[in-house]
Amino acid sequence: MESQTVVKEKPEIQRLTNNVSLYISKSHESSRINKTGSWRFARPVYENKTAPCSAACPAGNYIPEVVMRLTNGDVRGAYRSIIKENPFPATCGRVCFHTCETACNRKGQDQAVAIRCLERYVGDRAMAEDFPLDAPSVPATGKKVAILGAGPAGLCAAYFLTRLGIACDIFESTDRAGGVMQWGIPAHRLPKPVLNHEIDNILNLGINIHYNHILDETFFSRAQDDFDGVFISPGLTIPLTMGIDGEAHVKEGLQLLMDIQRGIVPPQKGRVAVIGGGNTAIDVARSIKRLGADPIIVYRRRKQDMPAFEEEILEAQKEGVEIRELKSPVAVEKTARGFELKVVSMTPVAEKGTDGRTRVIPVDDTMETMEFKDIYSGIGASLHGAWQPAEPDLKTTFANIKFDLKDIPFVYGGDCVNPVQSVTHAIASGKEAAIALGVFFKNGINKLEETLNSCRVGLGDALSMEIYLKGKRKDNASHVVTESQINRDYFTAVPRIDPGHMMPETAVTTFDEVEKTFTDTEAMKEANRCYQCGFCNECENCRIFCPEISITRQNGRKVIDLDYCKGCGVCSVECPRNAITMEEEK
Amino acid sequence: MKQVIEGSHAISEAVKLARVEVVSGYPITPQTHIIEAISEHCASGEMKAKFIPVESEHSAMAAVVGAASTGVRTFTATSSHGLALMHEMLHWAAGARLPIVLGEVNRALGPGWNIWMDQSDSLAQRDTGWIQLYCENGQEALDTTLFAFRLAELVNLPVMVVIDAFFVSHTFEPVDIPEQCLVDDFLPSYAPRIALDPDNPFSLFQMAPPAVYMEMRENMHQAMEHTLDIYNAVEDEFAVIFHRRYGMIEEINCQNADIILVTTGSTTSTARQVQMDLEKQGERFGILKIKTFRPFPGKLIARALKNARKVAVLDRNFSFGSGGIFAQEIKGALQPLNHGPVVFNYIAGLGGRDITPEIISEVYFKTRDRQAPPAGCEWLGMNAQAHK
Repeated sequence: MESQTVVKEKPEIQRLTNNVSLYISKSHESSRINKTGSWRFARPVYENKTAPCSAACPAGNYIPEVVMRLTNGDVRGAYRSIIKENPFPATCGRVCFHTCETACNRKGQDQAVAIRCLERYVGDRAMAEDFPLDAPSVPATGKKVAILGAGPAGLCAAYFLTRLGIACDIFESTDRAGGVMQWGIPAHRLPKPVLNHEIDNILNLGINIHYNHILDETFFSRAQDDFDGVFISPGLTIPLTMGIDGEAHVKEGLQLLMDIQRGIVPPQKGRVAVIGGGNTAIDVARSIKRLGADPIIVYRRRKQDMPAFEEEILEAQKEGVEIRELKSPVAVEKTARGFELKVVSMTPVAEKGTDGRTRVIPVDDTMETMEFKDIYSGIGASLHGAWQPAEPDLKTTFANIKFDLKDIPFVYGGDCVNPVQSVTHAIASGKEAAIALGVFFKNGINKLEETLNSCRVGLGDALSMEIYLKGKRKDNASHVVTESQINRDYFTAVPRIDPGHMMPETAVTTFDEVEKTFTDTEAMKEANRCYQCGFCNECENCRIFCPEISITRQNGRKVIDLDYCKGCGVCSVECPRNAITMEEEK
Repeated sequence: MKQVIEGSHAISEAVKLARVEVVSGYPITPQTHIIEAISEHCASGEMKAKFIPVESEHSAMAAVVGAASTGVRTFTATSSHGLALMHEMLHWAAGARLPIVLGEVNRALGPGWNIWMDQSDSLAQRDTGWIQLYCENGQEALDTTLFAFRLAELVNLPVMVVIDAFFVSHTFEPVDIPEQCLVDDFLPSYAPRIALDPDNPFSLFQMAPPAVYMEMRENMHQAMEHTLDIYNAVEDEFAVIFHRRYGMIEEINCQNADIILVTTGSTTSTARQVQMDLEKQGERFGILKIKTFRPFPGKLIARALKNARKVAVLDRNFSFGSGGIFAQEIKGALQPLNHGPVVFNYIAGLGGRDITPEIISEVYFKTRDRQAPPAGCEWLGMNAQAHK
């Protein structure tokens, strides 16, 4: 059964041609006569916003810009981005407790970007390749400021003041600069050559530093004559006491840490108690472990209430530091074998204390006795009475400084003022003091508040030197980009990279640094995980997706041709990082 | 050389032989084998074509519309919901007068979900301005695909080559696959009338205000009419080279028949056997196979049917609230005749149900034994209890 007719003969045929009439719309006029821009009721505007990491960083680091330069392979550029706001990348990259990572939008997808490790990578590359500390600065103003204390706040005040053309003399009571970074933080967290490299970079900007300086009444009266302002950042140097019987038998943890820095390393043996729950207690315990003993942290609240940074607690536990929580010391007695620590067991209660923390109360009167070879306290320190800042009126109390105007301004900063005692907050304090003094010298006390607030990052407390110096960052909107404003379609889940740590068994035998630094490849991979929230990194999505082809690149800048942009908003939606805002036409 | 291949591959072989330059497509049963084979030919380099994978049939048609606007030969294939999703772009292809060829495998639309044979999908695209050619078997599918490119490029209208789901698409039959040199003789490389060219920029298909729109539509209609005029001549070209032709319609014993059954697609093959059997029994039974649905060869059909007493139209499709779609068209075509035949309309084989020889016999005898058709149409092969 054939369904088709078979043709036997080959007929003569004329091959057909297409001569059908064709009436379609076609024009050699440019379609640009149709100005689709007239349809628009909203227009896209390139507007960099504030990344949550930047807003959360006390030092106001411009993290998306740092990461953008890193992903471009420009480590030198990344370093320049950091030092605009913070001269301590290698140090902060090791010891900062990274509020940036806590705020990171990426957490919603997989894990926060390892921003601290990236900062360290940049700092380490800068050190290895000796990048100059060459942030933008202004010419000398003829003003001079005295700085009391060469801790992170004092050093940063000097750094930022120098950049503002204000000469500085630092007066330091010890024989080294660095403060808590030098004396408090052990080398296994912050190797001193790293710290000293960054300190030297700052001092080499032409800052006079006077070591072993006695800061007394005479000094103060002389300061009034010789300087136009004083920045006071003495740090907290007086160890807190517990007020318990036999406290004289308790050794000071801070002193131990300082002794170790001076090369005095008393060998330790047996069980050694460390009382406290802050970073000092952890640093003391981990140092004691390295000196050969078995440290036990005794803490009166719960483990989750410890003010020490979580990572530090975990590292200590990995190294074999035992933590006895809810044990409150009440007395110490010397025995033939060492010391007895009497403690009572505590229990949490529902009502919170005035500081908002969960309160603990004794379970009962039962006393428990613990035996130790030695007992150290690591419960923190307080300000030396001589430095108690005067209470200036509220108008001159700012996020990280107190500004007390006498004949000349006395600005208090660092741990004695800061709500949180950390290196990064100290840096913030130094920067705030420098900008405040700069504003004061230029425009007087009345402009202080307004100018400082105009330099805040994302309406938070952090200040930006780049904004103060009227750099490009001043154009950024203060809106902090939220997780839902990131176009996740452009980001695949990639696990966060861990830089690696020395094995705990090895780590406890040495004061060598425990955490490793990123390799070039790791740094690049981790940098690429960053969304760069609110920051145009020239990805070109807007230009590629614009259905009207009205986004062009002219002289290296993107330009929106509003004659044709019909306000569809595709560019704004396809921007992976919320750097384009749709504004209603007025 | 004859090879035993399935109907889907008859189309994909033809696309390869036609030297198509851009193919886009999105998989959907029962069409997938067509696009799958072509993508393999593209990947292996056997076809020097750009295969554009897309995320939907709408985009597949948009991609070939764009490609065809630059003056290259294009192809895509789809089925059922895919064709429905393509609907907007079908208008675009036709209105833009682009000679795109579309392999369409007839399949029912859901819900209830159904992947089987039914003409509702392609007939719903009746008014989009596409030429529609229905094929009976694998050989006709291959030949019609080659023919479709030639026809489309002669009249600047897109062509849909339609085959039955499974009965043709998945059925292996011996198919004569022509030599490339013969295909090249029949189908010269595409010489577009209009092609976008970056060196000579112009814009196409922009706004057509009331002052020109009607003329454009009439112009499309003229191209459809012109298709009817040149169809035989194009078949002459085809037949000279391949020694096969199908016609816009095929008449089987129509001149001697009292009753003529109108069929499309693979049902025709079943009907041919029934017709032979009944003719031996002395019944005056003929078949009219309709291949071209658009343009509709109404005059040819009227001439073929005019001597019959009764016409039975077997529709494998249905227009809700009206009736079988072919029956409506045929009634329209017969309307100019004085004392033309009476038209009986039967609905069968929807959603892949078999149209058996018994059903075709039933159609014949019901038509023979009644003076006039019942009101509306009659559904055959129904399961008695199904919807009680």
